[in-house]
Amino acid sequence: MNNTFLSLTIAILFGIGTFLILRRDIVKVIIGLGILSHAVNVLIVSVGIFDGTRVPILAGSYNEAETTGSVFNDNLAEDILSPVVQAGTHIDYVDPLVQALVLTAIVISLATTAFILILAYRIHEEYGTTDIRELRRLWG
Amino acid sequence: MIILTDHLPILLIAIPILSSMVMVFLKGSPVLQKNLNVFIYFCLVILAIMLLQKVWTGGIMVYEVGEWGKYGIILVADLLSSGMVLLTLGISFLSLIYSLDYIEERSLNSTYHSLFNLLVAGLNGSFLTGDIFNLFVFFEVLLLSSCGLVIANEKVGVTRSSDKMEATFKYLILSMLGSIVMLIAVASLYATVGTLNMADIAVKVSASSAAGTLPWHVFAIALLFIVVFGNKAAIFPLHYWLPDVHPTAPSPISAMLSGVLIKIGVYGMLRVFFLIFRDVLPMFQPIIILMALATIVVGAVSAVGQTDIKRMLAYSSIGQIGYIFLGIGMGSALTIAASLVYLVNHAVAKSMLFLTSGGIIHHAGTRDMYRMGGMIKSAPLMASMFLVGAMSISGIPPMGGFIAKFVLFKAGIQEEYYIPVAIAILFALFTLFYMMRAWMKMFWGTVNDSERQGNATPHAPALLMAIPIIILALIIVVLGLYAEPLLALAQATAEQIVDPQPYIDAVLTRNVR
Repeated sequence: MNNTFLSLTIAILFGIGTFLILRRDIVKVIIGLGILSHAVNVLIVSVGIFDGTRVPILAGSYNEAETTGSVFNDNLAEDILSPVVQAGTHIDYVDPLVQALVLTAIVISLATTAFILILAYRIHEEYGTTDIRELRRLWG
Repeated sequence: MIILTDHLPILLIAIPILSSMVMVFLKGSPVLQKNLNVFIYFCLVILAIMLLQKVWTGGIMVYEVGEWGKYGIILVADLLSSGMVLLTLGISFLSLIYSLDYIEERSLNSTYHSLFNLLVAGLNGSFLTGDIFNLFVFFEVLLLSSCGLVIANEKVGVTRSSDKMEATFKYLILSMLGSIVMLIAVASLYATVGTLNMADIAVKVSASSAAGTLPWHVFAIALLFIVVFGNKAAIFPLHYWLPDVHPTAPSPISAMLSGVLIKIGVYGMLRVFFLIFRDVLPMFQPIIILMALATIVVGAVSAVGQTDIKRMLAYSSIGQIGYIFLGIGMGSALTIAASLVYLVNHAVAKSMLFLTSGGIIHHAGTRDMYRMGGMIKSAPLMASMFLVGAMSISGIPPMGGFIAKFVLFKAGIQEEYYIPVAIAILFALFTLFYMMRAWMKMFWGTVNDSERQGNATPHAPALLMAIPIIILALIIVVLGLYAEPLLALAQATAEQIVDPQPYIDAVLTRNVR
């Protein structure tokens, strides 16, 4: 059920973003780009939700990896908790990698949005309008 | 020395990033800033040559950033990456020397050097990375820094700043849409195979393809990647930003954009389609060939109708990128080698033409070819150099472009793609027409340059502007007369691309925690 709502939210965000990008006002286009990039961010986060037993890091079987020493083991005495669960355990967990990806993507979209807003301000200074139909001195 | 050779891939990315910061602090002392930056680029070119030499003798080089094995970011230098890095650094070194005299003092001293360094860091990073999300990050780095560079002013202001704003706006919006599409593709790929390392993705995709369980959306992801890299490389339905952006940028930046930056799309196509999607590639080959042919036709026909010299060169870039994609679309080792030869030749010749056009514009005080004329007497150097570049682009024998076109068409005929090759040859004649017509308009006929027109004082090309052009012209002639080393390198690179098993082994047989 949650997944349905999440997918619907992402779809609606994409819809709004696409609609705004097709507007004729520069500022609306920029807002549309912002919404689109956040839709993508939500999409990436939704990729990291697992409700099964897929082990994110481990290749091969758990036992094999344990004997070769390639897996962290719980060591409660030293406060080390293993990030990898036993194969076969039913547990809901979230992939940490996608969150790192989203952080990167958010920072990048912040920088580009800041740049493009300044550009829009300069365009408004030069052209005296934010109507995209007026920006036609160069023909594609 | 051993430490240096071991850390070559990271040095090629870290030095530009660090020096971009240093350049900001050196704003107050422009002379030191200039000299230091030129010195840094000289060192970087040497490092790139060392990297190529090391990869050529020692095989694929894998560098772990951090010690996370295939789960962390790794840098992979195979022949394609290191060759592209060398090409990038060579052209950026020469463009940098050129821009010291070409760019207006205030722009040059404030942000130009640091943005230029960031652009090169982004280019090197995208060529060297082995992680597909990291590729996206470096795409953004080079996108933002190139936007900043397009706005930089020239000494002779022939381009209005409102034009620059408009072009940058289009470029930025379309590239941001492209990167959004790329993020969607990367996220879907990660959801499908659960890894971001390109070699690892390739293993998992081909394993599920061999088991017959390849999900249908892998095809959709591949199409998304065609859009992403097509947008970067400006192939036909996605090329509308290029003829606005490349002419409005100052000439050394146009040279970087046309020479190297659109080749990022070609590199991405080669990397992603021949490594990750190699099992589903036959399905996409017709699409790539069709788009390449459309690009050739559109680029050639549009270039004929231009009066602005830089705009004509930009449309010519679109047409030439079509030839490179044609070779990629045919998809055998021979044709890929041919398109790599074409790529190198086009990068050198087109950056040289853009640099020359900068000199011509400063001499004539206008970008309109029909308002120039008879400049062969007053600007003999620019005339001869433009002729060398034009001959190379249109494929006339002693120049490198002839070898490139010859190898490409020969490989196409050997692979029995008769009709695409016929179309490509037909539109190569268009290239000859518009290049030679431009040369005759500008340098023959009645004398008509800025001194006669009585407008802005011309800016005579100093030695700093002439040297890079002459070096690039020499490279063009050498590539035409002594093409064997390049052909051998391209052949070896193409074999590595078509059979990615060594790449995968080199990446995955590292110590995996």
